[in-house]
Amino acid sequence: MPSERPKRYWTSPDHADGPGAGDYQHDLAPWAEPAPGNVNRRSFLKAAGFTMAAVAAGCSKAPVKHALPMLHADETLTPGRALFYASVCGGCEAGCGMLVKTLDGRPIKLEGNPENPVGRGGLCAVGQASVLGLYDSHRLREPQLDGRAVSWDELDQTVMARLDHLRRNGGRVRVLSRTITSPTVRAAVHAFLEGFDDGRHVIYDPLSCSAILDAHQQTHGARILPRYRFEHAQVIVSFDADFLGTWVDPVTFSAGYRGGRQQLDQEHPAMSCHVQFESRMSLTGSNADTRYRVAPQEVGRLLAALAARLVPGDAASAVRAQNVPAALNRELHELADRLAAARGRSLVVCGTNELEHQLLCNAINHALGNYGKTLDLTRPSLQKQGDERAVEALVHELEQGVVDALIIADANPVFELPYGPRMAQLLDKSPLTVAFTERMDETAAQCKAVCPIPHFLESWGDAEPVAGFVSVQQPAMLKLGNTRPILETLYAWMAAPATADSLIKAHWQQHMHPRAHRTESFTAFWDRVVHDGHAELPPLPPTHAGFDAAPGRATASVPADDEGFALVLYPNLAMREGRHAYNPWLQELPDPVSKVTWGNYASLSTGAAKTLGVKEGDVVRLEVSNASPGPALELPVHVQPGQHDAVVAVALGYGGESTRRFEGIGPAWFQRQPTVGDDGRVGKNAASFLTFSDGRLGYTRHNVQITRTGKRLALAATQHHHFITVPEHLAPAGGLRRPIIQETTFPAYQNDPASGAFHVHTLEKDLYPPDHVYRGHHWAMVVDLAACTGCSACVIACQAENNIPVVGKDEVRRQREMHWLRIDRYYSGQGDDVDVAYQPMMCQHCDNAPCENVCPVLATVHTEEGLNAQVYNRCVGTRYCANNCAYKARRFNWFTYRRDDQLENLVLNPDVVVRSRGVMEKCSLCVQRIQEAKIEAKRRGEPLADGAVQTACQQSCPMQAITFGDVNDPESKIAKRLASPRHFRVLEETNVHPSVGYLTLVRNRVDGAQEGSVHHG
Amino acid sequence: MNRELVTYALLVGLALSVLALGAAARSFHLAGNQQDYEPVQPIDFSHRLHAGELRLDCLYCHHAADKSRHAGIPSADICMNCHQFVTAPLGAIQAEDKRALAEDRKPEQVVSAELAKIYRALALDLNREADAPLPEQPISWVKIHNLPDYVYFDHRAHVNAGVSCQKCHGNVESMERVRQVETLAMGWCVNCHRQANETGIGGKPVHASIDCTTCHY
Repeated sequence: MPSERPKRYWTSPDHADGPGAGDYQHDLAPWAEPAPGNVNRRSFLKAAGFTMAAVAAGCSKAPVKHALPMLHADETLTPGRALFYASVCGGCEAGCGMLVKTLDGRPIKLEGNPENPVGRGGLCAVGQASVLGLYDSHRLREPQLDGRAVSWDELDQTVMARLDHLRRNGGRVRVLSRTITSPTVRAAVHAFLEGFDDGRHVIYDPLSCSAILDAHQQTHGARILPRYRFEHAQVIVSFDADFLGTWVDPVTFSAGYRGGRQQLDQEHPAMSCHVQFESRMSLTGSNADTRYRVAPQEVGRLLAALAARLVPGDAASAVRAQNVPAALNRELHELADRLAAARGRSLVVCGTNELEHQLLCNAINHALGNYGKTLDLTRPSLQKQGDERAVEALVHELEQGVVDALIIADANPVFELPYGPRMAQLLDKSPLTVAFTERMDETAAQCKAVCPIPHFLESWGDAEPVAGFVSVQQPAMLKLGNTRPILETLYAWMAAPATADSLIKAHWQQHMHPRAHRTESFTAFWDRVVHDGHAELPPLPPTHAGFDAAPGRATASVPADDEGFALVLYPNLAMREGRHAYNPWLQELPDPVSKVTWGNYASLSTGAAKTLGVKEGDVVRLEVSNASPGPALELPVHVQPGQHDAVVAVALGYGGESTRRFEGIGPAWFQRQPTVGDDGRVGKNAASFLTFSDGRLGYTRHNVQITRTGKRLALAATQHHHFITVPEHLAPAGGLRRPIIQETTFPAYQNDPASGAFHVHTLEKDLYPPDHVYRGHHWAMVVDLAACTGCSACVIACQAENNIPVVGKDEVRRQREMHWLRIDRYYSGQGDDVDVAYQPMMCQHCDNAPCENVCPVLATVHTEEGLNAQVYNRCVGTRYCANNCAYKARRFNWFTYRRDDQLENLVLNPDVVVRSRGVMEKCSLCVQRIQEAKIEAKRRGEPLADGAVQTACQQSCPMQAITFGDVNDPESKIAKRLASPRHFRVLEETNVHPSVGYLTLVRNRVDGAQEGSVHHG
Repeated sequence: MNRELVTYALLVGLALSVLALGAAARSFHLAGNQQDYEPVQPIDFSHRLHAGELRLDCLYCHHAADKSRHAGIPSADICMNCHQFVTAPLGAIQAEDKRALAEDRKPEQVVSAELAKIYRALALDLNREADAPLPEQPISWVKIHNLPDYVYFDHRAHVNAGVSCQKCHGNVESMERVRQVETLAMGWCVNCHRQANETGIGGKPVHASIDCTTCHY
């Protein structure tokens, strides 16, 4: 409904109700929050005195520097010039194509490979951050036998003696792994197990999709995961599937999703429509055009209501649908009509691991004619192959003590599965346990033999994440430790030792090359694949049959509604199942929705928090009421608007052994608070709440009781930090807000492309001539808010590119996080019925920059190309600039942040200075990339092409929401973006003329207030 | 008398001090300025001989200077392009030949002490054959032209714009041992950039930016 009153944006429930409610301290001055600890004048002077003494003692002669050139030059290597190698990301099973940037022989940055159909040019935050894992000094370097470092020969002898005995005398050998997308490794495991009488490969996915696989087994006769093609979908309906954040293959899905969101500024604008039903506030849900918050137990009913409308002759669903409330039912009918109208161009996805839901989902998609269009079964996804029934069988066998050898290949079942410590005891029952692992994790610690495996950037490998889309992973540097790939170890134990590259090459010659149907020789084929990083093979003949309505449909056991909460366990964007918990970049990445860093929390809706009488940061105890002794967990509360009232959500992947290393992270000063909790870890592991039902992992736990403990634990949330809106009680008379986010609806946009635009009073004329005339290049950036999903890949890309330090939990609480690029998340609406808007915010490079004219030492100045330059070596740290910045985009180095780990320092980008204490820093629009491209163009004698400079954030964005370029080139993409009627600048009325602009956020919905046209004083 | 003597003695002392300090003041540098730095290198490589007398092109050894930010210190491989065959100065070889003629014997192979260091680094014996027991050992040159970490100088931009190597490095071809001739201070850089913008380089107009971000990022 249209409203006269403009939309209010707020960042946390404390601010939701306007003046009079909430925490005024935050509104007035966020930094006025009392800092933890207590500094008085005296202790400050003491500290200052010591500093002076340290400075006086620190003077010394200029050091003699040595330069050691190589003895034998590598012809491909020119010092100082970056080389890019095509490879596959090993951050998760999605297997996105990527380019590895190596400088002077070491990988320093990962970028998406635009030519690879998996990933399509984007790379998520986890992928970007995995380069740090390469230089992790906690990685295992030597093989171990019973906790003692041994040589590979000794380990091989011991293991092979046992295996030979089993080969001769028969015995049960089990290989337990997560999904393996490498065809060569899969074949090697198969070949290895064939040597035994009873060998079996057990595959599980900690974030399981086995219900989808099982559903297709029933409806299509093949246990496959379809390849979802969001690019062909005009109507997308998702039930609890976080496909833009963590579900199956989020980067490729985002790349597909962007197709429906990038047709705005065209002659015939179009836009896909996305409806999300979910219990918690996921990244995907926050981007939906229409979002319904539903309890997990309602999903089946809602799907049935859709099916009753869409699937002819589905009487059972019609019966179930009767329980849906009338109002919601009406809206579901409308939705069904929309889906039916987009037959073959719609997509219904469901992220729950319930067979009933997935069967309904398949029936709906079949009835809509989506198979073959938006769901591809001829090229199924191989990214999830797990089958938890096999895991249950394995656990049963372990309990009976009949497993003679258990090999755990790059998986951590002790941490990821709900058995917990019992699993560790079960492992002891097997006479031979072997772990292939990069780090000493919970599982490896229980295994007799530990075989360290190399990082994916230092070994050969291959991947087939989608049937027929094959990629080669090539090493970008020599191995740092005495590690050995799984492939080599398995072949060594089959008494046929060979190197990984020769094994992969042989497998490709035998299996991949014949599939290619090309006339080229294998050598040419192989060279091409290694160069491109991937190849597209024709699909194999289909294994699936036609659709069969699966008469014997199981109904999920829906618990009787009770007083308790439903606990929803979810993977969050940075941690997923916890594999990368060692990674400080990911730990410090604010969750896109909650903005919390360093640790997990119990999410409650605003309403539920009110009912329970808990506030943000109160520690609560979660218990399952009808299970004793059941799992229990104490976690701080986070109040999450938009969540269902009967749901408490907790992220998986925290509380792992690998987070013990963060004990000493952050600057060592006298008020330092530890980043880790009392148990020495970051966050708590919630895996004990997972369930096994029907042979599938369940991520929802019903009948959970929440009790207050009276304790408090302040979350390190960044949502109040760097606050740029003006609270209403401080706003000028008649003006309600500063125009920061501009949004509209698609129908309104069709009527008027400029709809939603701010009514701002810009100055027509200036008294003075313009300060800056840009004769050469004039750099500018535009971020499309209709495309940005808030996925935060750009934040980590920026961190990797610009050597941004990690500060630790305590410093984040003190608002001292150093990210140059942050993603502001705003809510609008009331209570729990909220819309979410994301806005990447970085230095806006203003023409009339307020920071520039307050710097007493000219450390921040304007360049002739429109950049606002920060000169670190001039900066004396007065921080006037940060105080005067309207966008709060500047970051101050309060400390020389720890870079003790010499090995980890190898990840630093040598093209960007590592800033020291007392220096201000901020986004430079990747000026090092601009300079490199300019000098390189000059060297070649060519003009600088549009697109030759890509900033790190722009490159990584799976949605291609960021455009960067030279405004003075009228043909450039950026010039066209600037001409869009959707273009606006944040705080334009302050007349600072920012070079960074945004495009209006457009939501594809019919109702909704016509936003904008805000008139203020 | 005594007091007078003391006064004279002090005056003489003062005069001597002024003279001594005056001489030292000429080579006084502010902290961080390493002008005239001329360290002893692990191998007495002579730029005068190679670049001056033999007229080797600078880019023959410093081959990345027109392609990359760094000019590059040549790998020992590059030395071996010639020194596989040339093992000593011409004079030394001629002297040995003369001696051998006088003593009526075959001339022996002469290997200069400095070149022997390169062979040692590459784990070669004096006949330039691989010597198994020796490990390879990279040569640890002393870096002369040092810029602070926050300065990004790009050789490629200057070489391709036509700035001669000598403009910044002095007449290296006349130096037996390389010395830092210029101050490498920011004022010196900026002055040159300003001048280039006015006069161009080699008659060609150029745009040498004096923005901070040209070098600092």
